[in-house]
Amino acid sequence: MRVETSLSSARASLQRRRVLDNLAKSLSRLLTLLPLTLFLVMLVVLAFRALPILRSATLGELLGRRVWLPSQGRFGFLPFILSTLWVTAAGVVLAAPPCVLTAIYLVEYARPGFRNAIKPLLDILAAIPSVVYGVWGVVAIVPIVQMLGRQSNQWWGFIPLFRSSNPTGYSILAGAIVLAVMIAPFIVSVAYEVLESVPGGSREASLAVGATQWQTVRHAVLPQARAGIFAGVVLGASRALGETMAVLMVVGNVPQIPRSLFDAAYPLPALIANNYGEMLSIPLYDAALMMAALILLLMVLAFNVLSTLILRHAIRRNEL
Amino acid sequence: MVRKLNLHRAVCTLQLLWLLLLCACGGRSGEQAPQDEWSGTIAISGAFALYPMMTRWQEEFTKLHPHVSFDLSAGGAGKGMADTLAGAVDIGMVSREVTPEEEAKGAFWVPVVKDAVFPMMNADNPVRQDILARGVRREKFIGIYLTGEIRTWGQVVDREDNTAEIHVYTRSDAAGAPEVWAKYLGKKQENLLGVGVSGDPGLLEAVIKDPLGIGYNNLGYAFDNNTGLPVTGAMLIPIDQNGNGVADEDELIDTKAKAVELVASGKYPSPPARPLNLVTRGKPTGLVRAFIEWILTEGQQYVGEAGYVQLPPDQLEQALQKLR
Repeated sequence: MRVETSLSSARASLQRRRVLDNLAKSLSRLLTLLPLTLFLVMLVVLAFRALPILRSATLGELLGRRVWLPSQGRFGFLPFILSTLWVTAAGVVLAAPPCVLTAIYLVEYARPGFRNAIKPLLDILAAIPSVVYGVWGVVAIVPIVQMLGRQSNQWWGFIPLFRSSNPTGYSILAGAIVLAVMIAPFIVSVAYEVLESVPGGSREASLAVGATQWQTVRHAVLPQARAGIFAGVVLGASRALGETMAVLMVVGNVPQIPRSLFDAAYPLPALIANNYGEMLSIPLYDAALMMAALILLLMVLAFNVLSTLILRHAIRRNEL
Repeated sequence: MVRKLNLHRAVCTLQLLWLLLLCACGGRSGEQAPQDEWSGTIAISGAFALYPMMTRWQEEFTKLHPHVSFDLSAGGAGKGMADTLAGAVDIGMVSREVTPEEEAKGAFWVPVVKDAVFPMMNADNPVRQDILARGVRREKFIGIYLTGEIRTWGQVVDREDNTAEIHVYTRSDAAGAPEVWAKYLGKKQENLLGVGVSGDPGLLEAVIKDPLGIGYNNLGYAFDNNTGLPVTGAMLIPIDQNGNGVADEDELIDTKAKAVELVASGKYPSPPARPLNLVTRGKPTGLVRAFIEWILTEGQQYVGEAGYVQLPPDQLEQALQKLR
């Protein structure tokens, strides 16, 4: 009698635990799939809302034209796409080398006390709202770039990349500097983790045969960390691609094809943010902004897929 | 036991959340109430240009009718228009003209105050004396902002010896001020040349920092509210309306009081002066109508202190007629 009761209660308990287990599994699976679904829904909705403009012109025309006059129905996205690439590329080029060196210093050279003081500081940099970076850019960076532009014209004016025809300082370079500071914490943080995960044995072996610290970093540590550091730079770059407010405030917002670092540019996120509230009165404007969002989304997607492929390739080759 | 307690707590929290959600969704838009005791909520969104004025009106109106509450947000004229036409808010604040397309979709509008855009230069402009003495004709502004033919400050004042380059600034964000400035020059915002800076304060900041800069600002930003003078570091460019080559008494604007007076009397051209509008979907009724009527009558007394310009009496009367 007694045995039976306890047996049946044990069975009931097992039943309950199984149900709970299944529930937990399906719930977590559902939540895992949610972001993917969300992304697909976003893509579909944007494409649907952008349909009117895709009907008004061919994709080639939209992406290849350089004139932006919405009230005349002329929507050319080329200046915005190129501006996005220019600002992002310049920002990453400015940020990556110093960030990697910072991470190397923190992991390989710095004393633990110093390291523990600096790391949280870098994390704070990542938490500053982007408007604050924008204001700082307007107040501090734009005047410096304005001065720099004048100098650059005198010294390197014969190189198109450094020729300045925009005397205001609101430019790609200003945007890139602000971006570089903004993405630095991400790159440093990832590079730091990667360098730290390199096993101590390789360092000891290298030092044991008489290599200097820098030689050790250069030949024993970095080769093993290369793929990971690349991933960090990619993370920074994808953040830079979509950064809106801070860039918008310093980049000049002129829809033209940029030719120099000192030209004003007009990246896609800025286009959307500047006009989203005002889009009602002009036909197709709404669709055009949705199109801009769609292009940006696809650019970020393509960039991430590409870098994942490169990363995989690099890992396989290094047999990491 | 512990788990049971947690479950219980979770259920309670969920219920609470649900309740909150219900509360948040309920209670929209005031219905007809006995004439004297209005109650309900008026939802308003739209232009930043009207936001400070509307806050003041909301304050005063709730003093008179304590059962009326407001749900006020700013997000740009276009957002106000879109929200209103979609029925998401009762009143939209629109700082530009209402287009025929929008009227066809059922937008009903009345002007409530006036605002104006003024061309601005840096206080250390190299040809500042000439500009203040002679003013600048509309054609010169067109040359600067639309065609790009006028590139130096010397050309602006017909003194070829001065070759200092003009640094043209404009607004990057779509808004009422750039639209009305472009309209004054005969085009649209998208046609304006220059480096785009975000927002009224941003544009002012750019001109203040750049001795060769030119920009334009709304009344509320062009002047320092404490002193009534133009914001330190910036000056208003007098518009030579009659083209006599002299900045006349009515063209030279050096204080806010004078600017308000010239805009109110219509001596300052319109555009760049403009009425700011309230928009509803169809002709308003009930509480919303009562509120707009109050704005056009008693509400006008707060216009001056909030830094805006009153509509002339005949235009106020016209607006009231339209509402009835």
